[in-house]
Amino acid sequence: MAVDELQAIIQRCQILEEADFKGEDFNLFQVAGQKCLEDGYAAQLLEVIKNEKNKVIVKNMGWNLISPLVRCIFMYKQEDDKREHCLKILDQLAQLCNPKELFLGLLEQIEQTSGEQVCQTVMLLLQPLQTVLLKLQNKKAYSVGLSLAMIMNQLTPLPVPYTKQQIQEDKLGLCQCCNAVVDFAKPFVNEVVKNMEKSSECNDMELKEELLKFCMKSLNYPLLTAQLEQLEGIEEHPFRHFATEIVDILWDIGELIPLMFLHHKGKSPHWQNQEFADIERKNSADSLACLSYLIFVQNFGIDCFPMVFSPSYLLQCNMTHIEVLLKRTEESTLSKGLDLFESCLLRMEDNSLLHQYLEFRDFIDVPQDLVKVMTLCPIEHLRKKSLNILQLFIDKFDAEGKYTLFRCLLKTSNHAGVEGYIIKNIKDQVHLSLTKACDNIWFKGHHLISLLDLALLLPEGAETDLLQNSDRIMASLNLLRYLVIKDCESDNQTGVWTMLAKIEQNFLKPLHVGLNMSKAHYEAEIKNKKENRREAHSSNTVCSVTVSGEKMPAMTTEMQLQVLHSALFTFDLIESVLARVEELIEVKIKAVMDE
Amino acid sequence: QVVKREGSGTESPMIGDKVTVHYTGWLLDGTKFDSSLDRRDKFSFDLGKGEVIKAWDIAVATMKVGEICRITCKPEYAYGSAGSPPKIPPNATLIFEVKLFEFKGEDLTDDEDGGIIRRIHKKGEGYSKPNEGALVEIQFEGRYGDRVFDRRELQFEIGEGDNYDLPHGLEKAIQKMEKSEESVFYLKPNYGFGSAGKEKFQIPPDAELQYEVKLKSFEKAKESWEMNTDEKLEQSCIVKERGTQYFKEGKYKRAALQYKKIVSWLEHESGLSEEEDTKAKSLRLAAHLNLAMCHLKLKEYSQALENCNKALELDSNNEKGLFRRGEAHLAVNDFELARGDFQKVIQLYPSNKAAKVQLVTCQQKIREQHEKEKKMYANMFQRLADKDVKSAATLQTSHTEDAEMKDEQNGVEEKAEVDAEA
Repeated sequence: MAVDELQAIIQRCQILEEADFKGEDFNLFQVAGQKCLEDGYAAQLLEVIKNEKNKVIVKNMGWNLISPLVRCIFMYKQEDDKREHCLKILDQLAQLCNPKELFLGLLEQIEQTSGEQVCQTVMLLLQPLQTVLLKLQNKKAYSVGLSLAMIMNQLTPLPVPYTKQQIQEDKLGLCQCCNAVVDFAKPFVNEVVKNMEKSSECNDMELKEELLKFCMKSLNYPLLTAQLEQLEGIEEHPFRHFATEIVDILWDIGELIPLMFLHHKGKSPHWQNQEFADIERKNSADSLACLSYLIFVQNFGIDCFPMVFSPSYLLQCNMTHIEVLLKRTEESTLSKGLDLFESCLLRMEDNSLLHQYLEFRDFIDVPQDLVKVMTLCPIEHLRKKSLNILQLFIDKFDAEGKYTLFRCLLKTSNHAGVEGYIIKNIKDQVHLSLTKACDNIWFKGHHLISLLDLALLLPEGAETDLLQNSDRIMASLNLLRYLVIKDCESDNQTGVWTMLAKIEQNFLKPLHVGLNMSKAHYEAEIKNKKENRREAHSSNTVCSVTVSGEKMPAMTTEMQLQVLHSALFTFDLIESVLARVEELIEVKIKAVMDE
Repeated sequence: QVVKREGSGTESPMIGDKVTVHYTGWLLDGTKFDSSLDRRDKFSFDLGKGEVIKAWDIAVATMKVGEICRITCKPEYAYGSAGSPPKIPPNATLIFEVKLFEFKGEDLTDDEDGGIIRRIHKKGEGYSKPNEGALVEIQFEGRYGDRVFDRRELQFEIGEGDNYDLPHGLEKAIQKMEKSEESVFYLKPNYGFGSAGKEKFQIPPDAELQYEVKLKSFEKAKESWEMNTDEKLEQSCIVKERGTQYFKEGKYKRAALQYKKIVSWLEHESGLSEEEDTKAKSLRLAAHLNLAMCHLKLKEYSQALENCNKALELDSNNEKGLFRRGEAHLAVNDFELARGDFQKVIQLYPSNKAAKVQLVTCQQKIREQHEKEKKMYANMFQRLADKDVKSAATLQTSHTEDAEMKDEQNGVEEKAEVDAEA
C-alpha cells in the first residue's frame, strides 16, 4: 500500500545522516509520496510531513513532491477535503523545504504549464513562491527577478481580454492573475523602499532593477494592448487596478520621474547587463509610451508628477512616444497613441506652438503617421479621430508653423482627400489674415504665392484622373474663387492677380481639357453600355472580385450605368465651379480696365 | 506678476543652467496642487529653455542661491485657457513659493562627468543643432587662465577639428549649440588637450581650458519644403563652399552631390523678391557650372553637357559655360559643335587663351578627321579597284589607322578652375 511504502522509506531515512541520503532514497520517497497522493491518501501524507521527526527528510526531499501535488490539486474539486489537505501540504513544504531547491521546483512547475492551465497554476503557486523567496539570503534579487520574468513569459502568449464582456468573463483568468502577481511583488517593493530610506545611496540596486524590469515588461504586456478606459458596469476594472499598482511600484522605487524623461534626454535605461540592454531598447520604447499614456491620459500617478512643466515641453517629450504608438496597427495601441496626442494638444493654447518645433524630426513624422492612419486604417472611428487631431495640431501652431506644415503635407501625403483638406485649411488661414488686421505675412504676398503653386495644380496635367482627385480639385477651385472674390485687383494683398496668367496656364486650361476628355470618355462608355444592354445578357466577366472568400456579384448594367452617371455629375459640378471662377475673374479684370 | 520675499547669495543663474529648487504651488483659493517637498525630492530643470511655465523661466532667472521667493503667476504666464487637467482649471492664477538651492552650468558630456560645462550668454535660434559632418562657421576665443591663446574665425566640418587644432571637447560642445548662440565652455583636460598639452599654443599638460564661442551658422540637413526661401539661400551658400572644398581635394562625386542640392532646392523656388531672385539665379548658375566641371572630371560627358546647357539658359553668354560645353563636345568627338562653342568664347572673350588653344585643337582634329576619312574612302575605292591579293594587307593598314585615331583623342584639359562667384 502506498502509505506503507512511504512509511518504509521514511523509517529508513530517519536513521541516516543528512549527508548520506542517496539518489535512490530521493526517488523512492518521491514515488511513494506520489502514489499516496494519487491513491487519495493526502491526509496521511500531510501527517507524515508534519511529523517533527521527519523534518530533515522533508527539508531535503520535499521539493520533489511539487509536481504530483499540483496535478492532484487540479484534479480535485473545490470543496473536496483532499484538496484542502493538498493545499496544506503545499504550505508545509514552503515552510520546511530547502528554499533553493523548492524555488527551483516551483519555477519548473510554472515553466511547464501552458495554455489554459497557466493562470491557475501561477495563482496557486504564488504564495509558496513568495514564502520561499523571502527566506532566500544570497541571490534573492536574482531569484525574484527570475520568478517574475518566468511568470510574465508564461502569461505573455495569452490573449488580453478587450471588450467589456471579455473582461467580465475573464475566461483564462488573466485579469485575476495579473493582480495576484502585483500583490506577490509587494513585499519586495517594501524592502527596496526600506533600503532606500536607510541610506541615500540605494545599495540594493539589484532588487530594484529586477522590479524595474518587471514593471517595464508589464507596461508592454498586458497593459499596452489592454482596454483601460472606465467601463460602465464594471466596478473594479482589473486592468486599471493593475495599471495603478504598477505606477505605484515605479513611484515607490523612485523610478517614475526618471523614466518619464529618459527618452527625451537621449539616454536609455541603465541596465547592468549590456546585451539585455540591446534587446530591451525596442521593448522599452513601447513600455515608456504606455507609461506616458497612463499618466497623461488616464491620470494614474499624476499626483506625483510635477505640475510646472510648460505644455509645449510636454508635447515635445511625448512626441517620441506618440510616434511609437501611432506606428502600430492594433486598435488598442493606436487608440492609445491618438488619445495621448490629443491630451497633449488640448493642454496648449491655439497659435502657441512655435514653428521652430518643426525642426524636430518627430514633429514632421508624426503628422505623416497621422495621415497614414486617416487614410489606411480600417477602423472608422479611429480615422475620424485622427482627422480631428490633425486639425488640432494645425491650430496649435503659429502662422509660420502652419505654413510649413501645409507645405509638408501637400508634398508628402499623396492622397487627394488629405490634400483637399489642407487646401481648405489654407483658405481659412488666408481668410483670417485678410480680415484681421494682423501682420501675418505667411498667408499673403509672395509666401502665399509659393503655397498656391503647390495647391493650384493638376498632378498629372490634363491627364489627371479627375474623379480620384475631385476632392482636391474642388478645394482648389474654392480657394481660387475665394481669393478672386475677396481680394480686389487694386489691393492684391494675396498676390493672386500677379499669378493669374500662370494659374490659368497650369491649372485652369488643363482642367478644361481634362474635363472635356473625361466627359467625352464617360459619355461614350454610357452609350456603349446602353447599346450592349440590348444585346446579349452574357456574364462573361473579365475579372471578378473576391472579398473574404466570397465572390462579389458582378455589377449589373444598371449599377454600372449609375456609377458612370455619378461620375458625369461630378464633372458637371467641377465644371460649374470652374465656370463661375472664370466669370468672376473676367468681371474683376473688366472692372479694373474700365477704371 | 512676481512678488519676492527673502533672499541671499550673489549671482543669478543663466540660460541653460541646470537649477535645483524646492517649491510648493497653490491655486488662488488656497488649494495646494503640487509640492516637491511632498515628493521629498528636489526639482531640477534647465532654465530658460521653455521646459517650464513662462513665469518660472522669468522668475527663477532673477533669483540667487538660498533665496526663497513667492511668485504669483497670471494664466498667460502659466497654463492659460487650456489649464492642465486634472488639477489645474483653465485661466487659473497660480502661486508658487520657490527656494533656489543651486545652479550650475549645463554639463554637456554623455557620462555627466563635468568635463564640458556651458554657460550661455546669448540664446540661439530654433532647436536644431549641428551634427557630425556638418559644416559650421564659428568665431571663438580660447583661454588658458588669463591668457588668450587662440582667437579665430573658422569654417570647418565637425569631425575634422583635429586638423584645425581644436580639442574634441570643443567639437562636442559645438554640436549642442543653436544657431547664433554665444556661450562659454569650460573644458577639463581630458576634453581639452589632455596630458599632451599643445605646444603650438604653449599649453601645458592637464590644463583646464575656456572657450568663448559664437556659432554663426551651420549646415542643416533639411528637405526642400522644410526650409523657407531665406534658409535655402543661406544653406545653398554653405553647401557651395563645401562643394568647392571637396573639389579641391579631388572628391568630385561628393562635390557634385553638394551642388546638386543647390539645384534641387532652388530650381522650382517661386515667389521670390527681386533681391532673392538674383541671388538664387547666381547660385544656380554657379551650381550648374561647377556640376559641369565635376562631371567633366568624372568623364560623365552627357551630364556635363546637360548642366552646361542649363547654365547657359540662365546666362547665354557665360564664358565658363560655353567653354566647358566645348570641352564636353570635344571629349565625345563632336568636333564641329566644340568648335562652335570655342569660337563663341573667343568672340565674346578675346583674352581667353585656353579657348584659343582648344579652338586650334578642334580645327586640327577636324582636319585630321577629314584626312582620315578621305584616306579611308580612298583606300576603299582602291581596294575595290584592285580586288586581289592586296586586300588582306590593306585591311590590316586601315585597322591600324583606326587604332591611331583613337590614341590621339584628347582627354579634357586639366583645369583646376572652380567657380567662386558670389
